Amino acid sequence: MDGYFFLFTGLKILVVLLFVINTAAILTWGERRQSAMIQDRIGPNRAVIYVPGTVLKVLTLAVGGGLVAAVASYAWVASKRSEPVRLDVGFVLTELAVMLAWMGIISARRAERRKGGGILNERIPDARVVFYVGLLFHLLVVALRTGVTGEEQERSGLAFAVFHYVGPVLAAALLLGGTLFTFSNIPVGKVGIRLGGTLHALADGAKMAFKEDFIPPNADRLLHSLGPLIALFPAFVVFAVIPFGDTVCIHPDTSGHFWADLFNARIGDIGGRGYSPYISRYGICSEGAVPLQVANLNVGILYMFALAGTGIIGAAIAGWSSDNKFSLLGGLRASSQMVSYEVAMGLSLVGAFMTYGSVRLDDMVRWQSENAWGIFVQPFAFFLFLAASIAENKRLPFDAPEGESEIVAGYSLEYSGFKFGMFMFGEYIELAVASAVLVTVFFGGYALPFLHRDGITLELGNTVYYHLALSHRLVIVLGVITFFLKTWIACWVQLFIRWTVPRFRYDQIMKLGWRFLLPSALVNVVLTGVVLLVIDAAGPAFGSTLDVLADASQGLVLVLGVVGFIVLVSGILAPPRKRARAVSSSATFAKAAGGTQTSPMQA
Amino acid sequence: MATETSKGIIGKPVPRPQRPPSTQVFIPEILKGMKVTMKHFFRNTKEVALEQRPDPTMESLEEGVTTISYPEQTRPYPERFRGLHRLTLREDGSPRCVACLCCSTACPAQCIHILPAEYPEGDKRRGYERFPDQFVIDELRCIFCGFCVEACPCDAIRMDTGQHAAPYDSRDQFIYKKDLLMAAKGRDGSRKSENPRHEPGDATHPGIDRDHKH
Repeated sequence: MDGYFFLFTGLKILVVLLFVINTAAILTWGERRQSAMIQDRIGPNRAVIYVPGTVLKVLTLAVGGGLVAAVASYAWVASKRSEPVRLDVGFVLTELAVMLAWMGIISARRAERRKGGGILNERIPDARVVFYVGLLFHLLVVALRTGVTGEEQERSGLAFAVFHYVGPVLAAALLLGGTLFTFSNIPVGKVGIRLGGTLHALADGAKMAFKEDFIPPNADRLLHSLGPLIALFPAFVVFAVIPFGDTVCIHPDTSGHFWADLFNARIGDIGGRGYSPYISRYGICSEGAVPLQVANLNVGILYMFALAGTGIIGAAIAGWSSDNKFSLLGGLRASSQMVSYEVAMGLSLVGAFMTYGSVRLDDMVRWQSENAWGIFVQPFAFFLFLAASIAENKRLPFDAPEGESEIVAGYSLEYSGFKFGMFMFGEYIELAVASAVLVTVFFGGYALPFLHRDGITLELGNTVYYHLALSHRLVIVLGVITFFLKTWIACWVQLFIRWTVPRFRYDQIMKLGWRFLLPSALVNVVLTGVVLLVIDAAGPAFGSTLDVLADASQGLVLVLGVVGFIVLVSGILAPPRKRARAVSSSATFAKAAGGTQTSPMQA
Repeated sequence: MATETSKGIIGKPVPRPQRPPSTQVFIPEILKGMKVTMKHFFRNTKEVALEQRPDPTMESLEEGVTTISYPEQTRPYPERFRGLHRLTLREDGSPRCVACLCCSTACPAQCIHILPAEYPEGDKRRGYERFPDQFVIDELRCIFCGFCVEACPCDAIRMDTGQHAAPYDSRDQFIYKKDLLMAAKGRDGSRKSENPRHEPGDATHPGIDRDHKH
């Protein structure tokens, strides 16, 4: 219990709070906007702040100039270091240059098309070609780097020319060019900033804060005010046990240059020479270990079950204290639904605990990183848990407690202003937390396929095909980014479930919970137990087969991820459909039909 | 072809929808549905983001479209639209109202409260008329029937401001007091009325007061 403990805990709480609150705000907007994009109608995208173009120009110069300076200084600092460090920095900057190049060509092509015609559009009819060629260049750079082995480190050859000079200079030049291009394309007059529409969420929040806070005359004033607080608080604190990154080992005595070694890929190979620390794959450092988890409780996920259950008390109290029959019905529905699904939710994860051999979430992630992701070992439990957690969050198709068409708005009916905002915000925080739990238990948390604490190890069973040691800092940063990205993807999929599935009837919800989810979860527990006993009895030969299968599943994830990324980007870059619709909205339809007519009522 | 069943009901039997186990499991059906929504989402998002098609949200802000984007654009109200109330003024800036309570009596919603007061001793209007010490209208309670305007014998209250109630953030702000009602302008931009006003002492004044009747 030293000062560092409190400092790090405070920092971790800050990171978690910032992530959860921002995610919830973006989800509040994103859910509405997404439904608009599915149905091709107007969505929340209008909030705008007008900024003078000159300010934006200065801002562009500052950010772009800063990036150029960062690249230049990174290359300059690295040039003072030994040959392997220099090569690594050059490699990273060359890959950056290749990425900037293909992205730049595509955006220049778009800018040309907006003005009409142009050489790039004539020469390159399909933007996907640029992306594919860019991918090819990425691979070429990788091949060039792997061609230089540790032995031949004299200053000659193509690889050295590229990594020492061409790559860094090209990266800086492209950044500079992009900055100047953006600078010249910003108009001088006032420019509307919409930030992709996310300002709308901000405007909505501000509106909520300033609205009247109405309490019904006969309501219980204390409980009416307490309800939203009780609903919001557990949603936040559940995130405390979720690890958002691997355990950090702090070595205060590290020599070497912080900035030069920050993202150096192969720095671990030369760890013995006083550079960035190199961490072994198994076991956690005995001193200076900081788990990236606010509270590393030994009850782990049981804490989550305990606290997530209390959130419903807020809804029940809100329903009762509002002095409204619809509110009361909503509160009752919410509580009965929570009681029914809490059981199935807990039981659906028992199979996962048995497989992972722990209820601590960090142990679960480590098990999944070393073996296979939870979705592969407990696929049935995944669907059960997903259904139960959506029901717990009272989201469609389980939003009977709110049921607009039946009981107006359920327990939040008599709430207005920021108290309603707290209910609404709490719902999205619960969504973000539920996604984080889903990712941690079933999708490997912060783990990436084949990325371990010591770097990348491509292996199948006990055969290691390729090993690349990575700096500890890089591994940690990659893990944290991975966890946040995975959580966002899980949130996004849950939003899609909302816009796809209609609401269940109340009796259907109860039937599904008690007569399908609960027995299925029990069957899953029994089956998992039987399979685990069989594996134990089968002996080590079967165990090594399982190891190979587990690594194959990691490989499958890797391949699916890469293919998915390529398909996504090439889908975005695909030329527009031939049969483009002339009329895309009622607005253009009215315009095409001769504009709107003045009604005789108008003065 | 209509058939007659044993119960005497005429009509064609409709086969019940088949629900094989694959449908009842629900998960494949949900995935199918998500495929459809995702297809639409990706296609629409891509075309809008890459400007291959106008964004319906941005398009709705353009000129000459059916939808009126309310805060930025407003629909012009008809000439005789009954908007928020105003109290018309005399030449000297005092309200034309003589606190006769006709409007508050006529008001079916009982949203007008008037506290009448006498002019001080020596005022030329004393004895002829009174003035409203308080004149309060609860605009949330008002049903905008216009009876108060009809009832007013002095053309002192009007609903010709052409404005609707603004969305305030508390109920208190909908209670319009005398100074606010007097500050409101009519559509012609004037705080007065075009109807002539005959002040006590004018040649045109009938000269009737409480002591000297016809």
